[in-house]
Amino acid sequence: MHGRVKVKSTAQQEEEKRKEREKKLKIYTAARDACFSKRKDGVCDEEALHLTQQLLSSNPDFATLWNYRREILMHQETVKDESEVQKMYQNELSFLESCLKVNPKSYGSWHHRSWVSERAPQMDWARELSLCDRCLSLDDRNFHCWDYRRIVVKKSAVPVGKELEFTDRLIGSNFSNYSSWHYRSTLLPLLHPQSPESAPPSGSSPPSPQTHSHRVCEEQLLKEYELVQNAFFTDPNDQSAWFYYRWLLGRAEREEMISCVFISRDEERVAVAFSRPVQAQSGGLLLVLDGQPLQVDWRSIHPRFKHSPVWICDLPPGSINNIANEHNLTVHWPEKHTRRDCALYTGRNESWCRDSATDQELFRSELSVEKSSVLQSELQSCNQLLELEPLNKWCLLTIILLMRALDPLGYEKETLAHFQTLKEVDSMRSAYYSDLCSKFMIENTILKMEYAEVRVFSVSNKNLTTLCHLDQLLLITHINLSSNQLRHISFHFSMLQCLKVLEAENNCIENLEGVYCLPKLEEVLLKNNNIATLAALRPLATCPKLRLLDLRGNPVTQSADAESHLAELLPSVACLLL
Amino acid sequence: MAEEESLSEELEQLEFLRDRHVRFFQRTMQVLPEMYASLETTRLTILFFALSGLDVLDALDVIDSNDMIEWIYSLQVLPTEDQSNLSRCGFRGSSHIGIPYSTKGHGVRHPYDSGHVAMTYTGLCSLLILGDDLSRVNKQACLAGLRALQLDDGSFYAVPEGSENDIRFIYCAASICYMLDDWSGMDVQKAIEYIRGSLSYDSGFGQGAGRESHGGWTYCAIASLCLMGRLEGALSRRELDRIRRWCIMRQQSGFQGRPNKPVDTCYSFWVGATLELLDVFQYTNFDKNRTFILSTQDGLVGGFAKWPECSPDPLHAYLGLCGLSLIGEPSLRKVHPALNITQRAFEHLRQLQQTWRGQ
Repeated sequence: MHGRVKVKSTAQQEEEKRKEREKKLKIYTAARDACFSKRKDGVCDEEALHLTQQLLSSNPDFATLWNYRREILMHQETVKDESEVQKMYQNELSFLESCLKVNPKSYGSWHHRSWVSERAPQMDWARELSLCDRCLSLDDRNFHCWDYRRIVVKKSAVPVGKELEFTDRLIGSNFSNYSSWHYRSTLLPLLHPQSPESAPPSGSSPPSPQTHSHRVCEEQLLKEYELVQNAFFTDPNDQSAWFYYRWLLGRAEREEMISCVFISRDEERVAVAFSRPVQAQSGGLLLVLDGQPLQVDWRSIHPRFKHSPVWICDLPPGSINNIANEHNLTVHWPEKHTRRDCALYTGRNESWCRDSATDQELFRSELSVEKSSVLQSELQSCNQLLELEPLNKWCLLTIILLMRALDPLGYEKETLAHFQTLKEVDSMRSAYYSDLCSKFMIENTILKMEYAEVRVFSVSNKNLTTLCHLDQLLLITHINLSSNQLRHISFHFSMLQCLKVLEAENNCIENLEGVYCLPKLEEVLLKNNNIATLAALRPLATCPKLRLLDLRGNPVTQSADAESHLAELLPSVACLLL
Repeated sequence: MAEEESLSEELEQLEFLRDRHVRFFQRTMQVLPEMYASLETTRLTILFFALSGLDVLDALDVIDSNDMIEWIYSLQVLPTEDQSNLSRCGFRGSSHIGIPYSTKGHGVRHPYDSGHVAMTYTGLCSLLILGDDLSRVNKQACLAGLRALQLDDGSFYAVPEGSENDIRFIYCAASICYMLDDWSGMDVQKAIEYIRGSLSYDSGFGQGAGRESHGGWTYCAIASLCLMGRLEGALSRRELDRIRRWCIMRQQSGFQGRPNKPVDTCYSFWVGATLELLDVFQYTNFDKNRTFILSTQDGLVGGFAKWPECSPDPLHAYLGLCGLSLIGEPSLRKVHPALNITQRAFEHLRQLQQTWRGQ
């Protein structure tokens, strides 16, 4: 099924072809039957080799036959001397070469070659490399060949530096060689590893080998930047260099940690936020109150989530409700060898302990922050390219990335402008870019909010199509989402455990599934949205303190008896605006 | 005049020719052209393409389900009386080895007869599509056969005698365990480690560690993790976002499998379904995707090809339909993006599993 192009031929040509195929088919079936009867009888001789050769030449995907052939070869090893065995395997390699000429993408053939290379008494590895070179010169994207090359390099201990030079040559002659860039990404960390002190901390989940370029030492990284810049200045429209560049600029994953602990006397409840979704139910979290371990049940923000960035537990009644008492609480996460303390002072109803997103440089878009001078110079280069190629989407994307790494708030205006251009030049993905832009606007709002040290979050009138980073909003009391393009308040919204007021007028909101069990929520303002059914409002009934609900300008208010049904659904909402 | 002709050609191109596709799959199940002879060993996968294709087209009424079901069961490698071949059980691709036809009783001892992980996977899917209750599947034998295929690094061989090993067969294994509702068939943790190890510098997945990212392997990785219920546990939010980006950038009109390669109909499913599983498929351009898929439609014999002006084949015909289904083509049934069968067949599986658990 490998892309056979339609070709018109005459009736006579068709007939000739048919006859030839029929002849081949007869030979094939005869050989196959002979082969299997030999195999059944456990025969492993030269004739069997010959038969399987015939069949495999026309059908290299007949896996069972390769296996049979391997058995024959192994048996022959026991009855031949070493020079004969060597000759046998050399013939095998020749045979394989002819198979590969016909079908350079057969799993069976490449696998068998790899097997032979392990069995033959002597292997001419230089020749194997040269076979790969030839194959790649015909199709530099043949991943079977690349995979085999990696095996040859490993088995024959070709120095990594030499292979790096090989990629230099390929990339030098054709920058648009994605497979070469890929190979380079695997070689660099081997040749120029970063010092062991900067290895990821123990206890973190096993990294995937290639994802982090922080495993390449600085000096080499700078050289790579230059190489890559040459590439994308030469052909700005080729993805290869840009993806590689993105990888170079990347930085390590953060350590997993507890990012926030919040305690509330009113509900006698503790909420814990993590740096990533976790599964805390299976005894992973331990609570210690005033020096005493407490047995508690942890639950995620919504029953449907087994993994959640925020987990909640109720303390035994009477534990902390007396405002005259001071308490010390510690949350332990033994699996990650980390913990968080939080003190609840006399006279205070609530308390929290949180790492700010600013300090954590949470939104520095994954880039290496310690080298801001380098990033600055990279930004300059990309801006230069942008002057020459103002509509190049890769350039725009990379500039956005660099600006967010250097100064997300300072570059906010330019970032928005670039997003606008990006949506025009790559309109096929404009919805994706809107989403990305929404994310960055939310990140900037979080940073501004922290700077102002308030618990009010306002992203009004920002063309928001989606909400994210809700785990960073655990502490906020007021949220203003009005005049955007939001359609859903999804389940993750229930992470906003401190929320008192939700303002969301002038959106296109259809569902409120995330307005669920918010213990402090008092006001919900939804004027001019798309709430169409009573069912959509059901989650609100789980919020015990809700007393004001504005539903004006929503289709649900048009249905008969809307008011009485709503009063029935939400009896404690004293003020209902329809 | 010429303008009118090309306009009507264009309109014709955009029309989805349901009936032709039904007939294409019917022919696929009757006789295949000689050039498919090399696929004899994997015949069951071709049947799966045809059956699932007809299911997506809501046209299963054109076949004799009972006949099909019997044939599929004849491909089951059954345990011998002394149960000595359990590690070789599963389903074969076809009868090419020459085992006598049998759908029940004990297996026949044969040194070279064994299941193939992709045949077991497509065999089970095909039975479900045909409405079978899997009661004649020897589940324990299949699972034993599956366990025998997993290597220490977490990947799988296709057959117990050995073959290449990579992420494709992890996907088959995960699907088998999911369908049989029994994860004892594999070491899930090891498989996850192999999958993570296959994540490449550009955040696509390769066939294994150090290998180039590819839309097909990315599908295998993400779909496997979803079937295991471990997507969020195995990959961080940042990694997931980067994977989304790599996948979204595959759309050129239709989708390509790798950067700088031409778009190909089948990736409208492999990459499309991955995006669907990652919740961002709605950010792709449906119109361009549809236009490309339909440009590979064969107006005469039905089916889809990988590229325009190429001959259609069952794989691209099936995946082209799935690609169209993902974007909501009206006459097509919805496809379960991780298991790659219709939601209807998936519902049938769910009900079966409920009865098994009840027991």
